[in-house]
Amino acid sequence: MASRWRDLQQSIVSSQFWKSIFRVGIPNTNRKRVLAMLGNVVLHLHPVKTRKSGVKMRYTWCAGGVTFFLFLVLTFTGLLLMFYYRPTVEYAFVDILDLREQVPFGIMREVHRWGAHAMVISVWIHMFRVFMTGSYKPPREFNWVIGVILLVLTLLLSFTGYLLPWDQLAIWAITVGSNMASATPLLGIQGPGTSLLKIGDIQLVTSTNDARFGLLGGRFVGAGALLRFYVLHCVGIPLIAAFLMAVHFWRVRKDGGISGPV
Amino acid sequence: MALIEFVKNAIDFLSAPQYLVTGALIGLVLAIHWRPIWTPKGGAVLFALLAGGIGLSYLDPNFNKVATLPDNVPIVGMIFLVGFFFWFSMTQAYANDRRIAEGRPPFEGEDSAQKVFSWPDLVYVELICLVIVMAVMIVWSIYLKAPLEEPANPTDSPNPAKAPWYFLGLQEMLVYFDPWLAGVAFPSIIIVGLMAIPYIDTNPKGNGYFTFRERRWEITIFLTGFLVLWCMLIVLGTFLRGPNWNFFGPYEFWDVNKLVPLNNINLSEIIWIKVLKRSLPNFWLIREMFGLAVVGFYVAALPLVFSKTLLRRFYEKMDPVRYFIGVSLALMMLALPIKMYLRWIFNLKYIVAIPEFAFNI
Amino acid sequence: MSTAPETLPSSPPDVALDGVTRRSTLKWMVLAWTGFAAATGAGLTATVRFLFPNVLFEPPTRFKAGDPSSYALGVDERWKEKYGIWIVRDTNSIYALVAVCVHLGCTPNWLQAQNKFKCPCHGSGYYVSGINFEGPAPRPLERAQIEVSGEDGQIIVDKAFRYLYERGQWSDPKAFVKMA
Repeated sequence: MASRWRDLQQSIVSSQFWKSIFRVGIPNTNRKRVLAMLGNVVLHLHPVKTRKSGVKMRYTWCAGGVTFFLFLVLTFTGLLLMFYYRPTVEYAFVDILDLREQVPFGIMREVHRWGAHAMVISVWIHMFRVFMTGSYKPPREFNWVIGVILLVLTLLLSFTGYLLPWDQLAIWAITVGSNMASATPLLGIQGPGTSLLKIGDIQLVTSTNDARFGLLGGRFVGAGALLRFYVLHCVGIPLIAAFLMAVHFWRVRKDGGISGPV
Repeated sequence: MALIEFVKNAIDFLSAPQYLVTGALIGLVLAIHWRPIWTPKGGAVLFALLAGGIGLSYLDPNFNKVATLPDNVPIVGMIFLVGFFFWFSMTQAYANDRRIAEGRPPFEGEDSAQKVFSWPDLVYVELICLVIVMAVMIVWSIYLKAPLEEPANPTDSPNPAKAPWYFLGLQEMLVYFDPWLAGVAFPSIIIVGLMAIPYIDTNPKGNGYFTFRERRWEITIFLTGFLVLWCMLIVLGTFLRGPNWNFFGPYEFWDVNKLVPLNNINLSEIIWIKVLKRSLPNFWLIREMFGLAVVGFYVAALPLVFSKTLLRRFYEKMDPVRYFIGVSLALMMLALPIKMYLRWIFNLKYIVAIPEFAFNI
Repeated sequence: MSTAPETLPSSPPDVALDGVTRRSTLKWMVLAWTGFAAATGAGLTATVRFLFPNVLFEPPTRFKAGDPSSYALGVDERWKEKYGIWIVRDTNSIYALVAVCVHLGCTPNWLQAQNKFKCPCHGSGYYVSGINFEGPAPRPLERAQIEVSGEDGQIIVDKAFRYLYERGQWSDPKAFVKMA
């Protein structure tokens, strides 16, 4: 029995189809371990050999890895949610209700929301770890800067997503948040110095051309804001974040590897 | 029973912002120098206190009501996670400091001398992490429904209306500063300041390993900002700010009708009316000259004064550009607690109040 | 230990190769880069401008608010739900307060018992006149344009035009309607 099982296994592993996908086979020798890392587009994010300090959880806390994984989870669940969700004032709320009550395995929205919260926390912890180990010091300075931008993008992703359920929690959190844009000096209608910008009696900055209007696409949080936040949430910010993540990971390798003294 | 009530009332009283911030600032500075905490035994005691305190608090109906709101559950998680990692990083920092004092390299230095194959050592660590995270996410999602309130109604503001929880630190700043500062200027300064850290901090030590002794100042400033002025204000905004943005102790009922007298006055009113016994001048520049002088001194002159006195050591060690940017950023960070104390002690609303141009500080 | 031949000049002479000189190259470079920067700037400006629509699909800001005599002394909330406006009548005038807190844009509530507007978000309080007296609000509520229609004598309110106390605009004839 055992030998027949081994035969079957052998015939699968040695088939042309299998070999065309997995070139290296089981990485049970050092040479194969090197080839496994080099030959796989995902794995070759990593170098073939890592310093032991970069592998130990007690130093890295895997916080950056968890953050990236949560980003992938959020991309996947977000994509699924997009099949049911329509970003209009009319449908947004009922579609969310639908996602909860009618759609099979209706925990996608939960995974998405809790995943977003978890990602915010994990990205903070990642930053905290990088600071406490002094891993922003030369030659890693610029990667810290990219990391700060990614932190801001994470918060913006979460913030834009907060509006989409179109419930009381959403609209008022975004009203309060976006109103701060109208306090931008010189660019927001309530900002300091804005009232000084005028030609004769005509104010240059009004409620239809200030910073908040550009953000919301309207004078208040309405249909325009919902659509804008939806597009930013689903396409705009994720694309920028994905690009910067690629740069971030690349620089981790180029600037001295994962964690540990340089 | 009476004892429990007494303890609850004491905690309610002591968790008012003025005591909470004071306690946290002093407590942080004392704690990071108090070695017994940063050992496994100390960590176990701290964890028992924190978990026991929060666990017992769930028995209180008022605490329970707020802490079990679905969107507030992650913040309870954040308290434990940030607390744990704070303890964990400081423990490793002290362990490394001991090694360095003995003339040995830090743990990380020893480990980084060896290299291992990424397959399987690194790849499997990652895989295990991902499986655990996914399992936690699924269980969490099954047991806790995502919140969904009434459909959006633009004419009916809920009370209190809160920003998403990660911005509650900023919303807490709104109590003390105008939106252009708390919502625009300070967030921008936080972002730029974070980005500037590697270029200001020229200390070559502590690069890539946990240490406290070699980076005392950097770590103290960062922890003050991150733990007290960011994470703790989020906890404050989530659990202790109720209807009308009034303060409520953790065991206090969120009474919509709680009346808190808010009779804050501006610096110009204090000086012109109370001290000089005159009416407010009409022209804004004269009316606000004291406030403008104070702010100007704080922003422009103080870094210069410090460079000759208090922070002379830093001025001589860093080059002037790094020194002035670094000190200005630190002063901006300290502006928040300073304004908080001015509010609590003098009921000060604005240092500079020029509503003519919506310019209030 | 320099072995460079002495005949080599320190920099090549500015000779024309097919009429191209260093100076003319520089001129074209400046022109090209200026053109590129201008085009990029124009593109960015157009993109930013694209975010500000010319036509808004928002409810009309101008509405008829009934006969002036239908308002009793005090705060009238009948238009709050639909247009976000309180019509207030005092002893000799009627004015329209915009029901948006000037702090962060929440909708305040009218508390009859305490005779004040109170914002639930951050606790700003305003008198009936709209003047702020407590909480973080930095200035008074805004008033909307109000007039009596010449056709049917009804009140017409237009939210698009605001009158601000701190700019001394509340005495503007369109900021209130005089009542005998």
